[in-house]
Amino acid sequence: MKKPDQRDLFPGALEMMILRTLKQQPLHGYALVQRIKRTSNDLLQIEEGSLYPALQRLLKEGLLKAEWGVSSTNRRVRTYKLTPAGAKHLDREVSSFERMLEGISRVLAPGEL
Amino acid sequence: MNWIKQLFSRRRLYSDLSQEIQEHLEEKIEELVANGLSRDEATTAARREFGNVTLIEERSREVWQWPSIENFFMDVRYGLRMLAKNPGFTAVAVLTLALGIGATTAMFSIVDGAFLKPLPVSDPGQFVRIGMQEAHGVYSGVSFPDYLDLRAQCSSLSGVVAYERGGKFVNSLDESSLIAVDVVSLNYFDFLGIKPFLGRTFPPEAEGSAASGPTVVISYTLWKSRLGGDPGIVGKTIRLNNQSATVLGVTPERFRGLERFVPTDAWLPVDAFAPSEMKHRESRAFEVVGRLRPGLTSERIRADLDTIGHRLAQACPATNKATTFYGEPESGRHHTFILISLFLMSLVGLVLLISCANVAGLLLARGETRRREVAVRLALGSSRGRLVRQFLIEGLMRSLAGAALGLLLAAWLIAIEPSLLPPAPIQIGPDLRIDARVMLVTLVVSLLATLIFGVAPALGASKADLIGALKGEEANLAHGFRRMTSRNLLVVGQVALSVLMLSAAGLFLRSLISTMRVPLGFNPHKNLLVVPLGTLEGSEEQRRKLLPTVLERFRGLPGIVHATCAMRIPLSGSGGGTDFRVSIPGIELPEGQESVAVKFNLVGPDYFQTVGTRILKGRQFSSGDSANAPRVVLISQTMAQRFWPNQDPIGHSLRIEKKDYEIIGVVEDVKINQIHESPEPYMYFPFPQTSYGGEMIVETTGDPRLWIPAVKREIRAVDKSALVVGIQTGADTLRSEQSVYVQRMAAGLVGSLSLLGMFLASVGLYGVVAYIAKLRTHEIGIRVALGAGRKDILGLVLRQGLKLVVIGALIGLGVAFATTRFMSSLLDGVSPADPTALLGGALLAGVVALVACFIPARRATMVHPMMALRHE
Repeated sequence: MKKPDQRDLFPGALEMMILRTLKQQPLHGYALVQRIKRTSNDLLQIEEGSLYPALQRLLKEGLLKAEWGVSSTNRRVRTYKLTPAGAKHLDREVSSFERMLEGISRVLAPGEL
Repeated sequence: MNWIKQLFSRRRLYSDLSQEIQEHLEEKIEELVANGLSRDEATTAARREFGNVTLIEERSREVWQWPSIENFFMDVRYGLRMLAKNPGFTAVAVLTLALGIGATTAMFSIVDGAFLKPLPVSDPGQFVRIGMQEAHGVYSGVSFPDYLDLRAQCSSLSGVVAYERGGKFVNSLDESSLIAVDVVSLNYFDFLGIKPFLGRTFPPEAEGSAASGPTVVISYTLWKSRLGGDPGIVGKTIRLNNQSATVLGVTPERFRGLERFVPTDAWLPVDAFAPSEMKHRESRAFEVVGRLRPGLTSERIRADLDTIGHRLAQACPATNKATTFYGEPESGRHHTFILISLFLMSLVGLVLLISCANVAGLLLARGETRRREVAVRLALGSSRGRLVRQFLIEGLMRSLAGAALGLLLAAWLIAIEPSLLPPAPIQIGPDLRIDARVMLVTLVVSLLATLIFGVAPALGASKADLIGALKGEEANLAHGFRRMTSRNLLVVGQVALSVLMLSAAGLFLRSLISTMRVPLGFNPHKNLLVVPLGTLEGSEEQRRKLLPTVLERFRGLPGIVHATCAMRIPLSGSGGGTDFRVSIPGIELPEGQESVAVKFNLVGPDYFQTVGTRILKGRQFSSGDSANAPRVVLISQTMAQRFWPNQDPIGHSLRIEKKDYEIIGVVEDVKINQIHESPEPYMYFPFPQTSYGGEMIVETTGDPRLWIPAVKREIRAVDKSALVVGIQTGADTLRSEQSVYVQRMAAGLVGSLSLLGMFLASVGLYGVVAYIAKLRTHEIGIRVALGAGRKDILGLVLRQGLKLVVIGALIGLGVAFATTRFMSSLLDGVSPADPTALLGGALLAGVVALVACFIPARRATMVHPMMALRHE
């Protein structure tokens, strides 16, 4: 019954990708999904819907702001924008993620076993 | 306060969210259409990629919620809708629960009021009840002089009071107004820490000075219910029997005296109302309660009481030679109380269990009809835990509705309680009220009921075969029967419980019957009318002159067989009974005593024929035994055997207060105070030779109540101002005898509870058999079509129900057999394994169960084969 949840990657991964993507440019939900897919070369297939609970969480924590507006295709959309708190949060998350990645890479690095 | 803002902008947030998701889907669809898909294909693809819209919206909303609380309220709202949608089911379930919970609440308020709730006085936990024990092991109260010595000498008590129980007529009131009064030592209210609601209480320092005068402190209840709640009552005069008393104050509402079952209506100072008893060391009529100093044990108080008892025996050998004090901590009585409470509560617990089992049975059957709803919710992404919680919340609401209704039911039962009790001359019964304690118990009980009986059906119902249920398939036979197993278990349990309860009720009934059969030494079934002499005006001297005239007038009435009088009637409930110190010339008394105390009665002409006591030897009193004739006495069989074991006592004499009385006859033993007392020596003196007070006794040819107006008329003809109150029939006096009364109450209580249990169980059984019949409608139709007769069908359905009944009854009997011996201490004269009671209970349960099975089974035979075959 239960569909695998994208956040099962590791906790906070989806949120981090959203923040990173929005740092470049404010986007609305649909565009955000497309952007993440494209940037990851379709490696990360996320269930589009699972974006929305994550967006609500980030909104609630004040890391994002949302505004209704009109898109380039003349569609009513709700655009999300990074707040200063969001930017700070992203920096922290990215650096801790990089440290973790570095650790993992070292363990996985060939030749030293 | 961000969260407050959130709370109010919630609606906005949610609508933003769904709009946004809607826009998202549309944008996607447009793009897919632009890529060449048809609109329909695009819609499906977009939805597939997006996921479960409802679920995602819900997850997104949850971010903003305190999910558990909000879901809870949503479940409550949904639950209320579900309950309202099925009013029949809801009504049956709520009513069933209300009966169970209401009975439990009422019973707890009884148990609490009677045994558990501490008395509303200061420091009741340290109370010690003190009495006297005489040489032969007979217990009695304490005389006032002994009480005063005890108070002066007992260092382990921080305080001690004495009170004498009694009844008086309030004669400014209506004719049935016998009230319970306590004649108390003046430190009574001070000791108990009772502050008056109005006016004052007795001043402890006035004791012995008689300065207190004829005053009275009345209870809140008496003041409110019989004196109209007059705010200016303090200082007014009321009349008690033939004495006036000034109202000194009114006690607070919760204070009802020191006896839980017989609330006191008024308190009188001993100085003014029993001055003679204050001096007589042999008049042991007072109840004594002391307060143990903190930290002391009950051994210490017993040792103290022994010392004081010995000292008194030496100082006053004439009265105290063979007596000792005994003391029992109030908390020691708790042991028995808790036992009785446990018994009563487990009994009512069984009723509750049966009613919960009924609801559980209903739920199991209803789980079937909700399969579709469950399947839809599961398909829409609801989790099973959520569904279980939903069902439990529905159950909780049912329980709470049941509890509310049950509380009303209990309040109603408490309100009509006086009319449920067997008749008694004064208002009795424990302090019943629905207070915070009772409500708390009700709440806990209903929560437990929900949990215990709601979880299994909820788990069962939340499991669904999605495809079948969504396709709209009806519950089929195989599926239905699987659910039947749990229902069968419930029904077997219910039948077993009701057999157990009916057996217990049977035992109590048998015990009551055996008590009623104890030989009393008089005939309570005669048509007797007992008229208190105290109703005549004036001094004892004046009354003595009036009495023969009144009795003569009674004898002149049509339909009067005998008219006589006696100082007291047997089992009159007045407690101890007066005694004389008797010495017997020529007979050595045990332990070197000079005299023994023997209780006695003073009787008028024809007394023994009137009440039906047999003369065993010698003669009864005659008109020849006049005031100037030689003094004579009749003695009881036990007295004859004790003092003249191998000889004829007739012709011997007794010496009382330096006067000799010749024994002229022996009469059978009579129960004096209680049915279950063992016989003791007893004496009768003829009225003309002694002074008296007491009762007039009239035997009539028919229902004695019909003679009450005539009797009143004759009394008033002699004494215009006479207040004729407190007239009782002979049967009434037996009914109000303590052990008969308690047993009637017990049999009534246990009996009505077990009938309630049986009723609920049969409702459950009816439901199950009806359900079986419904499941088999199709099969029955085929059988009828193939030529089965009504009898075959009836047998088919009945057999299934009866199998459950028989199994349940056997289990119930087994449990009854194993457990009823724990009741033996509550039963008189019946073996706890009494076969009549046990089998009678099983039989009654069986017959009712048969009826409960028969009705739906018969309905099944009415099934028309065509209808049945078309059923699916």
